[in-house]
Amino acid sequence: MVKRGVRFGFLCGLLWSGGMPLDAQTRQMELEERRKQDGGVYGDDELSSVERALDWADDHKLLERFTRGIAGFRLVFGNLMPGSGFGLGPEYYREELRNGAVRFRTSIRASTGKSLFGNVELTLPKLLERKAYLDLYTRWRNNPRVPYYGAGPDSKKSGRTAFRLEDAAYDVNAGLSPIPGMRLGITAGYLQTNVGPGDDSRYASTEAAYSTSATPGLGRQSSFLRSGVVASYDWRDYPGGAKYGGFYEARFDYYKDQDLALYSHRRLTLEAQQYVPFANRRRVIALRAKTLLTYANPGQVVPFYMQPILGGQNDLRGYRFARFYDNNAFVLNGEYRWEIFTGLDGALFYDAGKVFHRRSELNFHDLKGSAGFGFRVNARNSVFFRLDVGFSHEGFQIWFSFNDVFGNSGGVAQSLYASRYWPQ
Amino acid sequence: MSYFTGLAAAWVVLSPFLQTAAGQRFRVDDPICCEPAPLNIDNLEFRRINEFYDYYRNTFQHPGESNEHASPPIPAQNVNTLGEVLNSAWYTNRKLTHEQIVRGPNDPARAPDASGPWTVIAAKTEGVTPGLLIRDAGGRRYLLKFDPLRNPEMATGADVITAKLLYAIGYFVPENYLVHFSREQLVVGRDTKFTDQFARTSNITDRDVTELLLRVPRARRGPHEGKIRAVASLYVPGQPIGPFKYYGRRKGDRNDFIRHEHRRELRGFRVISAWVNHHDSRSINTLDTVVEEHGVRHVRHYLIDFGSTLGSAATKSKSAREGNAPLFDFRSAAANFASLGLYFRHWEIAKYSYYPSVGRIQYSAFDPERWVPNYHNRAFMNALPEDKFWAAKKIMQFSDADIREVVASGEYSDKGAENWVAECLIRRRDIIGRTYVRQAAALDNFRVADGRLTFDDLAARYGFGGQEEIRIAWARFDNESGAKSDLTSATTLQLPEPLRTAAAGTYWATTIKREGDERSVTIYIRKSAAGYEIAGVERMW
Repeated sequence: MVKRGVRFGFLCGLLWSGGMPLDAQTRQMELEERRKQDGGVYGDDELSSVERALDWADDHKLLERFTRGIAGFRLVFGNLMPGSGFGLGPEYYREELRNGAVRFRTSIRASTGKSLFGNVELTLPKLLERKAYLDLYTRWRNNPRVPYYGAGPDSKKSGRTAFRLEDAAYDVNAGLSPIPGMRLGITAGYLQTNVGPGDDSRYASTEAAYSTSATPGLGRQSSFLRSGVVASYDWRDYPGGAKYGGFYEARFDYYKDQDLALYSHRRLTLEAQQYVPFANRRRVIALRAKTLLTYANPGQVVPFYMQPILGGQNDLRGYRFARFYDNNAFVLNGEYRWEIFTGLDGALFYDAGKVFHRRSELNFHDLKGSAGFGFRVNARNSVFFRLDVGFSHEGFQIWFSFNDVFGNSGGVAQSLYASRYWPQ
Repeated sequence: MSYFTGLAAAWVVLSPFLQTAAGQRFRVDDPICCEPAPLNIDNLEFRRINEFYDYYRNTFQHPGESNEHASPPIPAQNVNTLGEVLNSAWYTNRKLTHEQIVRGPNDPARAPDASGPWTVIAAKTEGVTPGLLIRDAGGRRYLLKFDPLRNPEMATGADVITAKLLYAIGYFVPENYLVHFSREQLVVGRDTKFTDQFARTSNITDRDVTELLLRVPRARRGPHEGKIRAVASLYVPGQPIGPFKYYGRRKGDRNDFIRHEHRRELRGFRVISAWVNHHDSRSINTLDTVVEEHGVRHVRHYLIDFGSTLGSAATKSKSAREGNAPLFDFRSAAANFASLGLYFRHWEIAKYSYYPSVGRIQYSAFDPERWVPNYHNRAFMNALPEDKFWAAKKIMQFSDADIREVVASGEYSDKGAENWVAECLIRRRDIIGRTYVRQAAALDNFRVADGRLTFDDLAARYGFGGQEEIRIAWARFDNESGAKSDLTSATTLQLPEPLRTAAAGTYWATTIKREGDERSVTIYIRKSAAGYEIAGVERMW
């Protein structure tokens, strides 16, 4: 198709020159005259105030100072128990000690829901040429509004109560990575627990609604020696926002009651994540299956506050956090993600899972389901922020989170207690 | 319509008459080869471009003079009457032999001297891929750039290959040398400082360098087994004054008198970027330096940093999006959102052969008209068919052998990877040729020989057709008024009798069309005392 008009490159170019002297005898003279008139003259070449501000922020590493801190100090947000409100507090973090061979971190945080959290950790992340690590970790937390709806899959939404969970943990963790992607780890530590009346005016305190006989651990708490082993293999392209690959993990932990000889138990956690990309990795189907099974010692039980839980932004997103408690839990997640534009993905998901009292009930019957949609804001190949809206027969839930929905292990289809194997 | 818009419109309408009335269409020195010799410039301060602001401005504000609503469109302004780009500090018409193309800008005498240690004089430690500034035994400075751990050879190969191709086309680029070295080759210079990600300045230590190189792949086999591979990019000559923009002019540079968005080599760079998949062709990957030549200080304009070309995105393999969709486009985003991702674009379902050392590049879904960089710039957006034709001609000049040997100089250890890169460049070149060369009647390089007008039929040469008959119409051309008087009896390429017997100083025009094609090309011939000269060429699209 012939375009309208004739495009004389040379002619129009010269005509457009605007103000060109009409008496120039040669083309060179024309250009020189035009250079004299226009050379170096351009009003839009000054830095704008916005650009200056951005440059200033860049020069002073403002973003880094905000996110990484000043002289090791920074503000940290969240990382408290879901439902405990907005959390904030100072952190002192040094990752460059002895050229990065030693990392130290300590922080305290408080939330609008009256939760408190403090931790201290010392990590040697580069042992054996970065193939091994050693990690010393201690943590204290006090959450006065932990929800409890009663035991079992048939607990009522209206049965919500609140209890205070206070504990302190002292752990030594070590691990190695013999081949890329594979990690083997061990942990050992001491755990002190305490449960008390909840402090949430909206709900009754747990001990007022549930009996101590039906709720083991409600009346008396204990301290535990805990130890465990873990093996995992990870071949995801980007663990914080995977487009393809998989993650498989098996953990085995032993919690030995030190005070009462009532609550000793073992826990087996199995997890598989698989990411199936299509359309040249512009779409992803993310799948996960995870189960946590407990094995109480003969004549002993798993205290309710250490039982597996389900519900929340990482597993059954249409249900409230910790909606279901029991001795075992099992969850399946499927999520379809597509790119809306660079940095923002949409997601449609379906979650199914259940808690169950006996391990023989590990099957696909009587699963609780929830479905929904969400958005993921990505930065540097990881989910920086996500919004999920989950629907279930109990209504809908809106979740704002700063991690990938499956992420690495921890707090997902687990209990309020999960051993820490890896330095964060 | 604002006052200024009205004034501009009036100027567009009136200027042809002013020009025609004022004088000749062709000047005695047409076609010229070069922009005027540079003038000495005062000191220009270093000017940086903030990449986030650049993205925002080019994505949402579209600065510069636009062709979108201009009628007639604004043609490139730094071309001669043949449509060729004038030699300047931006671009040089280079006629290179096969050997020169393969060598590129490099000179073995300027390759890093490994006879002595390389002294680290600065480091870039933040980011995914580190970089080191070194001084070799000969005192020359190089920037060492590395590959990402997962993609050995990818970014370095792309950097070397693309620099050679762009140099052969005519751009100014750095000399990029592939080097393989061991840790012991590097020593840390005394009091060498670097600024970490916390804006703290401290001395670099040997341990810092060792740690940094742990993030870099090493050759697993072959003659360089165990060695670190890098591109040593020789510092370009002159005093750096920051990147150039793809619009406007640099304030204070007396030689910068043509708006960048109207420079053909920048408009045409869109097509060239499409060819080598340079999705990161933005301002921060350019550099202006003040050089001194023959006692005159002036600015030279470089394209730099080609680690994000071919299948490479420098720190990782390209995603399928890169080169096919911008970072943000409102309509695409709306379509993606509304369709729940069920609207698939052609590049999303295209098949890619994947080599870790190449990344993601292919040709079967390549369409240069739909190719886009990460974000648009005004020069690319202003590209007209003649700009694209010019770029396509430049690309088509590379033979298969040229391309294969340039790619071989990227030293891929996997022969399959090397073949794939060469195959992609060859096929993409041909697609570009079919797309743009055919738009322009595909005739070029006009000259008069033995009393006949002759030319190169690019369509026939490159196998895009060219079998159609051509129709020829001659006319006498009045260089003062622009009027043509047809010579109805002259319908062959033989110079017509009136032309052969005409006096020196007269102008003649012949219009050539292919049978069944309305596109034409008109060649203006000036008769001089010395013979016949091609004074100009105009193409109808």
